[in-house]
Amino acid sequence: MRNLLCFILIPLLGCLTYGQNKQILYDFGDIPQSLLVNPATTMEQDYHFGIPFLSQFSFHFGSSGVSAYDIFGESNVDINTRITNVLYSLDKYDFFSVNQQLEILSFGWKNPKGIYFSGGIYEELDVFTYFPYDWAVLAWEGNSEHIGRQFHFRDISVTAELLSVFHFGANKRINDKLTLGARGKIYSSIAHASSTDNEGVFTTRVIEGSDNIYRHRVVNANVTVQTSGIQSLSDAGSGAAVANEMLSRVFLGGNLGLGVDLGATYQIKDNLVATASLIDIGAVFHTKDTESYVARGTHNLDGIELLFPALSDGESSYDYYNDIEDNFDNDIPVDTISSSYTQFRPLKVNASIKYGFGKKQNSKVCDCLNKNNGEDWREEVGLQLFAIKRPIKAQFAYTAYYKRKFGDFLTGKLTYTIDQYSATNLGMGLSTNYNWFNFYIAVDNILKYSNVAKAKNVSLQFGFNLKIDKNE
Amino acid sequence: MNKPIYLLIWSALIMVCFTSCVKDTDFDQADDIVLSPVLELDFIYFTLGQSDYFNSNTGEERLVVTDTTDFEILNESFVRDDLKRAEYLFELENSAAISFLTEFRYLNEMDEVVYEIAIPISAGSIAAPELTEHIENIETQGIIELTQASKIVVNVIIPSSFENIEGALNLQSKTTYFFEI
Repeated sequence: MRNLLCFILIPLLGCLTYGQNKQILYDFGDIPQSLLVNPATTMEQDYHFGIPFLSQFSFHFGSSGVSAYDIFGESNVDINTRITNVLYSLDKYDFFSVNQQLEILSFGWKNPKGIYFSGGIYEELDVFTYFPYDWAVLAWEGNSEHIGRQFHFRDISVTAELLSVFHFGANKRINDKLTLGARGKIYSSIAHASSTDNEGVFTTRVIEGSDNIYRHRVVNANVTVQTSGIQSLSDAGSGAAVANEMLSRVFLGGNLGLGVDLGATYQIKDNLVATASLIDIGAVFHTKDTESYVARGTHNLDGIELLFPALSDGESSYDYYNDIEDNFDNDIPVDTISSSYTQFRPLKVNASIKYGFGKKQNSKVCDCLNKNNGEDWREEVGLQLFAIKRPIKAQFAYTAYYKRKFGDFLTGKLTYTIDQYSATNLGMGLSTNYNWFNFYIAVDNILKYSNVAKAKNVSLQFGFNLKIDKNE
Repeated sequence: MNKPIYLLIWSALIMVCFTSCVKDTDFDQADDIVLSPVLELDFIYFTLGQSDYFNSNTGEERLVVTDTTDFEILNESFVRDDLKRAEYLFELENSAAISFLTEFRYLNEMDEVVYEIAIPISAGSIAAPELTEHIENIETQGIIELTQASKIVVNVIIPSSFENIEGALNLQSKTTYFFEI
């Protein structure tokens, strides 16, 4: 039980890099949920039905540059020293990410013309924040050792959203070489908050000839926080009222958006296939229950200048202290805005090329000895590219994989992924079929599972489906 | 398919998952995490010359000029709880041929003095201003007293008339706050 708890809790404690990279699931045609990563993935079965709420659960949590062990590892070095060391090992491009998806409903079928239709509903939580490097340094050390340094507001870049997605798509083999797929999506936002594209700096400087020792400056600040769906939840009061409101938003009661996934599979040669997909080309239009806060301006502070006015009896001096606060508020007012805004979904790009080899087999029929000359190669190797658009810059991951079918029962995929932060990420996915029942599991960074506290990149996906073939 | 291979592969993956755990870590160390920012903030500044020692309302000369400012930041709960040390730096330049005594009195909300700093400044000249630097290091009991303050009264006292004396007293100051949060 202890290990089980650890297995479940570790991702919470530790360690993920590319929260939305599903390199094991990608182009894994044995798993119906691979359609969510590439709508052009060829489905072998005639129908599929996901077990409601169990057909896909995926969870990621982690950081690009620090593991739980880096801070909490047993050591003779004081933990505050280790935090300082970690702080200076990170930069403003490091990030923390939480991504969780729960599929509520999933179904699909192949029509007589060979078009595979699929649809469903899933809930998604996505939280992404760059490491606010300058402000972490300021909070950890203060400005004393950083006189003259610029602390940039651009380092504050965070997005958080909770939404449900209703989707329906289809893929069709256009000719012998090309299969195309597309999926339409309706997003229903449950709650959203973001602060990106901020500008301006804060400095403490020594300026020769100035009135006081330092001059504290906020220069050209332009900081925005956008929220949607949060104010009404905080006004809702009781937990039950909040739950009811959130539930209504799951089923299209929130701010709505539209999106599309596109995919293609191209057979270059009999044993050489290229694939690509664009996921979440779309946006959520936040028109109700929005509240945004905008602070813009420049302010200088030299301290309190006393004027020693000659006062009559009972007369009080200037209100220096409140004047400072008032001047700051005047120079950098914080406006609360209720206007609508559009939030683009983080666009994901996948691409791959794969080479099939070994004997061919038809995986719809048990062909354990590979005597038949089926359609699919028993083994394949491939290369995959993943990219996701994030507020400051896109992130990339590169994967090499080996996949093998073991008859109709089992398909396995072994991946090796390299990205900006990790060059030792081995992942493994298995999908097994027993009669109509399909179970799959994909785990990432398995080399770190002996002590996941040291991992920076671990993910987990699993689910249960029913896959039905007419001829069975 | 070959059943043993099937079982072997699944067993391997399941073992990877279920034997995974966190080792060699001690999350109780979180209790030992201390943020210790050191903040440099400007404090009070002023320039006082001959004209400041004449009361424009009454036309009379005065030997003490006084001003008061709220300074509620010292009374904030996070300052009371987490401020461990404060170091004030006062830099005074006196180009007048008269000495000064500068007093900083920290008052609580009942206008009682809870902390006081007094800095004597020798007479200087325009050609050779007298430079005085005073560092006031406050910790332990002094911090408890300081963080009761919500306003500061500044008195600048001269021993005799400023009349017909050129030059001025200039003050610049800052505070270094040492927190442990």
